[in-house]
Amino acid sequence: MITVKELEHLAVLSRIDLTEADKQSLVKEFDSILGYVDQLKKVDVSMDAAGRVGAVKNVMRADEPVTVSAEDRERLLDEAPDREGDFIAVKKIIAQD
Amino acid sequence: MKIDLANLTIKKAHDHMVKGDFSSVDLTKAYIDEIKKKNGDVNAYLEIFEDALEAAKKADELFKQGKAGPLTGIPCAVKDNILIQGHIASASSKILQEYKATYYATATKKLAQAGVVFLGRTNMDEFAMGGSTENSAFGPTRNPHDLARVAGGSSGGSAAAVAMDGALFSLGTDTGGSIRQPAAFCGVVGLKPTYGAVSRYGAIAMGSSLDQIGPIGKTVADCEAVFNIIRGQDPKDGTTITDKTYPTKRVGKKKPVIGIPRHFLGGDGIDPAALEAFEAAIDSFKAKGYEIKEIKLPNISYALMVYYIVMPAEVSSNMARFDGVKYGLHVDGKDGIEDYFKTRRAGLGREVVRRILLGTYVLSSGYYDAYYNRANAVRAMITQDFLKAFESVDLIATPTTPGPAFKIGDKASDPMSMYLEDIFTVTANITGMPAISIPSGTTNKDGKELPLGLQLTARHGDESTLFQAGKEFAGE
Repeated sequence: MITVKELEHLAVLSRIDLTEADKQSLVKEFDSILGYVDQLKKVDVSMDAAGRVGAVKNVMRADEPVTVSAEDRERLLDEAPDREGDFIAVKKIIAQD
Repeated sequence: MKIDLANLTIKKAHDHMVKGDFSSVDLTKAYIDEIKKKNGDVNAYLEIFEDALEAAKKADELFKQGKAGPLTGIPCAVKDNILIQGHIASASSKILQEYKATYYATATKKLAQAGVVFLGRTNMDEFAMGGSTENSAFGPTRNPHDLARVAGGSSGGSAAAVAMDGALFSLGTDTGGSIRQPAAFCGVVGLKPTYGAVSRYGAIAMGSSLDQIGPIGKTVADCEAVFNIIRGQDPKDGTTITDKTYPTKRVGKKKPVIGIPRHFLGGDGIDPAALEAFEAAIDSFKAKGYEIKEIKLPNISYALMVYYIVMPAEVSSNMARFDGVKYGLHVDGKDGIEDYFKTRRAGLGREVVRRILLGTYVLSSGYYDAYYNRANAVRAMITQDFLKAFESVDLIATPTTPGPAFKIGDKASDPMSMYLEDIFTVTANITGMPAISIPSGTTNKDGKELPLGLQLTARHGDESTLFQAGKEFAGE
């Protein structure tokens, strides 16, 4: 049902490296799972249910900055794999000419 | 006095500590000794917290000052995906192996304020994805009733910790049955509250329209006591509800009326022992004067299919945050984008990768309508079926699982057979309704007595009916 090429595309979108062995077993597993959930296609969903999930409604709040204590900031920064002072350090993404 | 851990409940422990028969320090030491004896075999705990005795000392102070509440000094275990500030919360994943929580989850904050003692963090399927705790990056949890079998999952460590007398209660999370199924396998009580009843702030998200935090305990009353502390609206979780969100109107005057969807119980892959235990449970309710009605839930057989579309879709979104930049594992590549690929490859296990890819697939353009939209429509139909059934009954009873705990390795190679374990439990997550699993007899397999569970589901917001019927069923 799903091809290795499609799977490779999903892996790129998901930012995950896959080995050849992974791809072979995943294709089989996808077939078995999609084969099962495909039974939903025979359900008559003509009722107005589409897009409506229970009584769930949006909950809004004001978009306001929250002051974080120095201790909290330090705790957060401390978890970053790489930091420079009070910044999280990442690799350069713009090439230099 | 000698502490009888096997027969202890929260209420009994509280009374003993008020009377001074033993202190929270004594109780905490007794649990830590028991964990040291059994955890090598069971692997329920990933870590015992060094500050547990410190917390017990503080609790004892509260008893001395007469300020102790019902949970003060009670030793408990917390699933490894619920944050406790300063402690590692790894979600049993290599990608968070060394991640130290920078804040408290609302549920653990409330428990800390109530004076509980956090004994340690418990093993689970990686990021709560699985039904056996075999997907943990740190080895499977074994069932205390038979070490050759799984403890269930994904909250397998939390259920096994309580079952092996390694904690008086524990917290788990439940996205498709992850509290109730391991509770059934381990012979303890597990509650999945109404969606939004307990704040999920600080719980590592899996499927955000399905996830709930809930208690696992030895008795229904213990789960009720914990639920009453951790529940409530929270500005930090917009999905939390108030007592007024769902007005409940009971059908049964004195006792709740119980509905049984018989048309859904006899399918393939259901162990006759599970059905036998279920009939015995229904007979026991009848003997206690409960009215039993047969009900129809026309679309219930689609619930598991809906779940295996909606859940991976939400997983693929929630898991995008693990990128090796802000926290957790980082594996270096030649550039920023290669860092992502290498970090996620090294840090995420097979089942997690499978669900991320599946979710990305069902959400991708061209498939979105056929899968995700359709699943949401059927989800609404299933919820309508339940709401309609609750016009004539107050509770819906099913077995919790299709059978007792299975052997370690038996289902590990076939994801579909593992997914079918959730057949009776997913509906409560699909509909957002509360459900509880209560021990309901045992069945003998290979000379070992293995527990089975009875599941009761109630209307949105009606946990109190679960507790009422559950306590009566369990003889509490």
